Amino acid sequence: MITLNTSAFARRPDFGAIVGVIMMFAVFSLIDFSGWWSGSTLGNILQFTAILGCMSIGQAIVIMAKEIDLSVGSVYGLTGIAFITLEADLGVPGAIIAAMAIAGGIGFLQAMAVIKGKIPSMIVTLGGLFAVRGLIYVWTGGSVRSLPAESRAHWLTQLFGGELFGIEAAILWTAGLMVVLSLVIWRMKFGNRLLATGGDENTALSQGIRTDRVKIRAFVLCSLLAGFAAILTLADKPQTHVTLGDLMELEAIAAAVIGGCLLSGGRGSLLGAVLGAFIITGVRYELISLGAPASWYISFVGLVLIVALIFNQSLIRWAGNRA
Amino acid sequence: MSVTPMNKNAPLIEVRNLDLHFGAFHALKNVSVSFDSGQLIGLVGDNGAGKTTLIKVLSGIHKPNSGEVYFAGKRVKEFHPKLAIKFGIETIQQSVGLCDNLSIARNFYLGREPVKRWFGIPFLDFKKMRDASTKVIRTFGLRENVSADDQVEMLSGGERQSIKIGRAVEFKNRVVIMDEPTNHLSVREREHVNELAQQLRDQGLLVIYITHDIHQVHKLADRIVIMENGEKVTDVAKDEMTADELEEVIRCGGRVVDTSKEVEPS
Repeated sequence: MITLNTSAFARRPDFGAIVGVIMMFAVFSLIDFSGWWSGSTLGNILQFTAILGCMSIGQAIVIMAKEIDLSVGSVYGLTGIAFITLEADLGVPGAIIAAMAIAGGIGFLQAMAVIKGKIPSMIVTLGGLFAVRGLIYVWTGGSVRSLPAESRAHWLTQLFGGELFGIEAAILWTAGLMVVLSLVIWRMKFGNRLLATGGDENTALSQGIRTDRVKIRAFVLCSLLAGFAAILTLADKPQTHVTLGDLMELEAIAAAVIGGCLLSGGRGSLLGAVLGAFIITGVRYELISLGAPASWYISFVGLVLIVALIFNQSLIRWAGNRA
Repeated sequence: MSVTPMNKNAPLIEVRNLDLHFGAFHALKNVSVSFDSGQLIGLVGDNGAGKTTLIKVLSGIHKPNSGEVYFAGKRVKEFHPKLAIKFGIETIQQSVGLCDNLSIARNFYLGREPVKRWFGIPFLDFKKMRDASTKVIRTFGLRENVSADDQVEMLSGGERQSIKIGRAVEFKNRVVIMDEPTNHLSVREREHVNELAQQLRDQGLLVIYITHDIHQVHKLADRIVIMENGEKVTDVAKDEMTADELEEVIRCGGRVVDTSKEVEPS
């Protein structure tokens, strides 16, 4: 009975990420105990994990539907810049609503191009990545923008960027979103249809599922989460630059894949995506704190991604043999 | 356009002068055929004969270029799989119908998931989903140790077909279209699936059974419809022709029939 339960646990898509996090804690504790466990290191790691994790949750949902969204880094940047720029005219609440509407709108437009234009999402969102980044340059003219002091003190800014019981708001928001959206995916109709659409679209269609609508919702959700990650970031550190969110789309995809999302669709985990973001962020901060040049970081993300994939694959095989 | 009134004596499915082109390819040529409840129809023909295209129209996947489709005497104007399901038309195909990445219970209710409200939020009713699929697992002869929570990828080909047929019965369908349901199955599994097809017919459903194997379907069917090059070439009650005679029709492209019957050239 116990073996049955352990093998069921090992068959979870996020099992590899859970093991990975445990290993990361073990290794970093061994080589750099005081640095790794210091409040500021872990605090920073958790803060950035929350932001990347928020984006990775959306990416995981799109990947579960057997699509991909390469535009999230640019959407993150544009949403952040829209929030800061529009705040002058609309105030904090208005700017947040407008910025999120822009994010959702981009997601919807890209989804329509994928569904109605029958273009692979890899291409559509690659176009989105460039087009939206271009918009950022045009809109800001390369300038740096920031929020005035009274807007930083606004209760909404504090709700997304402040602290609660000494915990950064972003951490609580991402944790909450992960729990709620996991319930939506695993315990509600939409999730069942999303997993079916990603796992076997023809079957989903044959059972009367509107797979086009499922995918549109997944893309919009993904863009909204990328936009929300930007709100979480800028409510805390309200300063924008044109490269805001650059390369974050690749980190989000890496996090989702490390977390057990299969690019072939229909399998994944939102907890895994957040843990994947934690692994990527943890490796980055620990490398910096160990004194490695910052430029190494991106190579290490690549390495972690490949090692994690090999690890996940062998875990699936191992769990399959035990079933 | 006038609304066609419901007609109780009308055939369950009637197709008139159906035409369908895929670009230059003329997939269905002026096909007219009708099917009644409580019949098992053998739909036979070579690859590319148009039989799968015909059932894809009936299951709402393809919209015909011209011609009419009637369901229980009522003209069908829109074509979408969702509408076909609403009419009670279920298509069982070898490669489609179950998602490997989901459990049997989740697959069973795919697209019509039952919900139970908690604080007003509609969550999936897993108990109902498990109970109904467990009942089908037991009645339709799956292995003893298969549970409703098992992933579909663990099932054999015959077990998959049994689940799909069980689902068609559970949701009180009126038409079950079986597209080559016994391909890649073992001899025993094939017999099991064929028995299930006859049971569905005996319960008053219309069963349309598509196959290459005229000998197999001749044993099961009440009526045989042969298609060739997008046209219906033969439509006979089972007793009118033997399996060997029908095989001869297929071999000769539907043009030549044995000497006892003359077919008018079209």
